[in-house]
Amino acid sequence: MIALIRSEFRKVFSTKLLLILALSALAFMLLQIFLSIFLNPPGFEDINRLMDPAYIKTIIASAGSASVFLLILGIVAMSGEYRNQTITSTFLTTPVRWRVIVAKMVTFAILALVLALVLWFISAITTMLLLGTQDSAPFEWSAAFEILGGTLIGLVLYAILGVAIGSLITSQVAAIIIALVFTFAIEPLITVFFLSVGKWLPGNALNSILQTGGGGPESNASDLLDVPVGVLVLVGYTVVFAVAAALTTNRRDIT
Amino acid sequence: MKDLSFSAAPGKVTGFLGPNGAGKTTTLRCLLGLVAQTAGTATIDGITYREIENPITVVGASLEASGAHPARTARNHLRMIASAAKITDSRVSEVLETVGLTAAADRKVGGYSLGMRQRLALAVALLGDPKVLILDEPANGLDPEGISWLRTFLRHQASKGVSVLVSSHVLSEVQQTVDDVIIIRSGSLVYQGSLHSLTEGGPAEVVVRGPKIDQLVLPDGWSSRSVGGGETVISGATIEAVGRAAFEQSLELHELSSKSADLEELFLGLTTEESPTQQSVNGKGGPA
Repeated sequence: MIALIRSEFRKVFSTKLLLILALSALAFMLLQIFLSIFLNPPGFEDINRLMDPAYIKTIIASAGSASVFLLILGIVAMSGEYRNQTITSTFLTTPVRWRVIVAKMVTFAILALVLALVLWFISAITTMLLLGTQDSAPFEWSAAFEILGGTLIGLVLYAILGVAIGSLITSQVAAIIIALVFTFAIEPLITVFFLSVGKWLPGNALNSILQTGGGGPESNASDLLDVPVGVLVLVGYTVVFAVAAALTTNRRDIT
Repeated sequence: MKDLSFSAAPGKVTGFLGPNGAGKTTTLRCLLGLVAQTAGTATIDGITYREIENPITVVGASLEASGAHPARTARNHLRMIASAAKITDSRVSEVLETVGLTAAADRKVGGYSLGMRQRLALAVALLGDPKVLILDEPANGLDPEGISWLRTFLRHQASKGVSVLVSSHVLSEVQQTVDDVIIIRSGSLVYQGSLHSLTEGGPAEVVVRGPKIDQLVLPDGWSSRSVGGGETVISGATIEAVGRAAFEQSLELHELSSKSADLEELFLGLTTEESPTQQSVNGKGGPA
């Protein structure tokens, strides 16, 4: 298994995929922090939300927005093997296929952990520095540390989920489209109209772990699952997808 | 695929031949555990590919549609496979040297020509220093120089004691390289044996050319047909007998040669007879 993980690391670092998605995640996170600090959404013009410590915690939790990039990273890395037909040599080298999937999941979990840590730190520092220029409640490292655990767990699970989706739906384009449509269209729609159902979906389970209350200014964290339940739900989704990925991959004809 | 059993001997190059669609690639992919067979087993030395411990050190394979990431260099492509099989990076450099890709090793595979990709696929197959090499259409897309290089390469591997199995749909591509041939048609074996005995089984013909060759009187049992240009093909006779007959009848000869080795014709004869399977496939393939 160590050899396989080593091989997976070599795969990742011999293309630009990781670099591009990591930089995209960083750029998006910084944009979100800037907008959250310097702009108020319509309807909130008269309130200085920066006086609210809970809101500041939400800003630091912007690191969690990297989740969708890590999902795509996992999807592209796994389905890319089918797209570029490297899957043939991968499975010729390691015919016990679930080992390949596990190695890839471990690899991207490690990468996601490191990336999450870096993004969390940059997010906290940026928020601290920018708040210094504003009239606001004080920046508290304790608040930053409260969301650290959730950020790490959430991003790691999303990266693993991405690998699972990429091995279930091996057409790269289809896998990315399905994942994005679900994340940005289907899940928000269900959440708006059926929150009791929506809160059990992966995106809201993630939001409960990240303690962002779904990101929107009007959303309320209390509508979401409790953090431990959120973690269990997201782990559940990841395990189900991973097992399904291993089973279907084992039977798949590689042509 | 119907009951198909064949062997490739150590130290020999075995050609695995059949027209496109005969099931060559499917057979090889079954054998390598990439495609599941509906019934029966596909084994190498009695065990399935998936049961082999670190298989690429036992069986090296290069298949069609086994690609490399276009943005990855050949060296990195080999390195990632090597590490999964616990093969050292120095072996990566060795195989790059063997297939003549050292100079291009650090270039992206996306910029490679078809011939270079074939060489890279061979390098992957060689990586584990296997005793068995399975190569699917390795000559596809090679220029004449490349084919000549491949021929030398395959002979060299066989001389080291490796069992080499090479598939092709064009006999002439491998004719000068292979010792044994396996010919399949619609998933069934139609011939297995040495290339030499395949040609012996064919009709013996002798080509003679000369200014008055049409005056040659043929003994009973011989037949002749003129193919133009003063050339006549005589069947039912050995080359020695035809030479003696011409000498006895004082006829001047400009050419006397044996035409027994028309492999392409034999191959076509073996592989293009209409089969029930093909008919049923055609029947289903019509527009609904």
